[in-house]
Amino acid sequence: MEHGIIPISNWQLALSVVLVLLAGMVSAFLKLGLLKSLAWGTVRAFIQLTLIGYVLAYIFEWNNLFIIIPIIFFMCLVAAREATRRVNEPTQQPMLVSFISLSASTFLVGLIVVGLIIGPDPWYSARVMIPIFGMILGNSMNGISLALDRMYGEIRAHVDEVEELLCFGATPWEAVRDLVRKAVKAGMTPTINSLMVVGLVSLPGMMTGQILAGADPREAVRYQIVVMVMVAAAVAVGCLLIVGLSYRKVFTEDLALVTDMRRSNG
Amino acid sequence: MFKFEDITYHFDGGDRTIQVSGAVEEGGALALRGPSGAGKSTVLRILARLLQPVQGTVIFQGRDWYSISPMTWRRRVHYLPQRPVMFSGSVLDNLKRPFELVILKNQEFDQGRAERLLRETGLSLEMMHQDAHTLSGGEMARVALVRAMLVEPEVLLLDEPTAFLDEGAERLVLSLLIEWLQERSGRALIIVSHSEDELNIFPSLQVVDIATINREGVV
Repeated sequence: MEHGIIPISNWQLALSVVLVLLAGMVSAFLKLGLLKSLAWGTVRAFIQLTLIGYVLAYIFEWNNLFIIIPIIFFMCLVAAREATRRVNEPTQQPMLVSFISLSASTFLVGLIVVGLIIGPDPWYSARVMIPIFGMILGNSMNGISLALDRMYGEIRAHVDEVEELLCFGATPWEAVRDLVRKAVKAGMTPTINSLMVVGLVSLPGMMTGQILAGADPREAVRYQIVVMVMVAAAVAVGCLLIVGLSYRKVFTEDLALVTDMRRSNG
Repeated sequence: MFKFEDITYHFDGGDRTIQVSGAVEEGGALALRGPSGAGKSTVLRILARLLQPVQGTVIFQGRDWYSISPMTWRRRVHYLPQRPVMFSGSVLDNLKRPFELVILKNQEFDQGRAERLLRETGLSLEMMHQDAHTLSGGEMARVALVRAMLVEPEVLLLDEPTAFLDEGAERLVLSLLIEWLQERSGRALIIVSHSEDELNIFPSLQVVDIATINREGVV
C-alpha cells in the first residue's frame, strides 16, 4: 500500500481547468448564461483557497490560542450570517441568536472532541481545532438555518391554533411547543439521514481527504465516526438553542402573537 | 363587572381609527354593532389582549387589565373567533386540550358536562371520537363553544357565534348561552352579531355601536 500524499504540481492544477471548460461547454450548449459566473467562481475559488492555504500554514506554525479563538469566533460570525440570510423574516433579527447558538454549540462540542477525544499536544493545536470546529460549524449552520426557517413557517401555518391556545391561557412556550419540536426535528433530520447512509452512499469529505493524504482507511474511519457524532451533537444543541432563543420573538410584551405573524398568513 | 374605556386602535397606518367604550354587568350581555369592516372583531381581540390598543383601559372585577397576567386574563376573559379552530385529533382530544395547560392544572376535565353541553348544542355524542377536522363548519363552531365553556371563563367574547349554524342549531346555541349566563353568578358575555333578532333574545342586552373614523373625522 502506498503511503504519503501525492502532490499536485502547478501543471496538474492547471489541467483541472479542463474540467471548468467542460462545465462551460454545458452552459454554452444549453444557453444557461452561467459562463461568466463559472469563470468568476473558478478564479475566486482558486484565489480564496490559495490564500487560506497560506493563512492556515502560518496559523498552524504560530499555534497560538489567542489567534485561534478569534479566528473561530470570526468563523462563527460568518456562519451565523449565512445561516440567517435565507430565513425570510424581515421583522426579526435572528443574526445575534444565530451567532450565540452557533458559538455555544460549536465550542461545547468542539472542546469535548479536541480536548477529551482527540487530545492533541498542546490541547489547542490549531491543526486539529480549526478543521474540527470548521466541520462542526458548516453542519450546524445548515441545521439551525433549517430549524429557524421551519419554526417561523410552522407558526405562520398554525397561527390560529397558536392563538387559540393563548386564548385558553397558554404561555408562549405552551402555545408553540409542538411547532418548535417539529422545527428542531427538521434541523436534525439531514444529519440523522447522513448517519444512516454514511459509507454506503458516499465517503465523507474528511475521510476521503485523509485517505488521499495516505492515512490508513481504518484509521480514517475512526476519525470520521468521531466527526459524525460530534456533528450530530452540535446540530442538536445548535437547533435547540436557536429555536429556544427565537420563539419568544414572535410574541409581544403582552404575550400575544406579533401582528406580523398573522398578517403574513393572509 | 367588565368596563372598557376609550379603547382606541389605528388601522391602515392610522388612516382609520376606532374609539369605543362600554360596560357589561354580571349576568348581562353586550352587543357590538356596526357595519362590516367597522372593527367589531378587532375590539373583541383587543379585549382578549391579542391586540394592543394605542390607548384605553379595561376594568374587570375592579382591577385594571394590566394588573392581571395575560395568561390569567385570557383564561378568565375568553375570546372565541368567528372561524372555529380545531386542534389535531378527535373531538374529545379537542375538548381536553386546554386542560393540558399549566394554568388549568387544578381544573379537571368534566366529561359528563362536556357530553351534556354537546347534546344541548344539538351534537351527537357519537362524534366524540371523530377526527375534529372532518366536522362541518357548524359542528366545529359548536365544539369550539363547548370547549370554551368547559374551562369556565367569566367573560365570553363571541365573534358571530352562529355564523355557521342553521336556524335550529342557532336557537339551541343561543338558549345555551342564556343558560350559561344565568347558571352561575359572575359571568357576562360580549357578542358580535349581524342579526338583530339573534341579539334581542338576550335579556338586558346593552348595545355599543362601533364605527371607524378616518383622518378627517368622518364616520
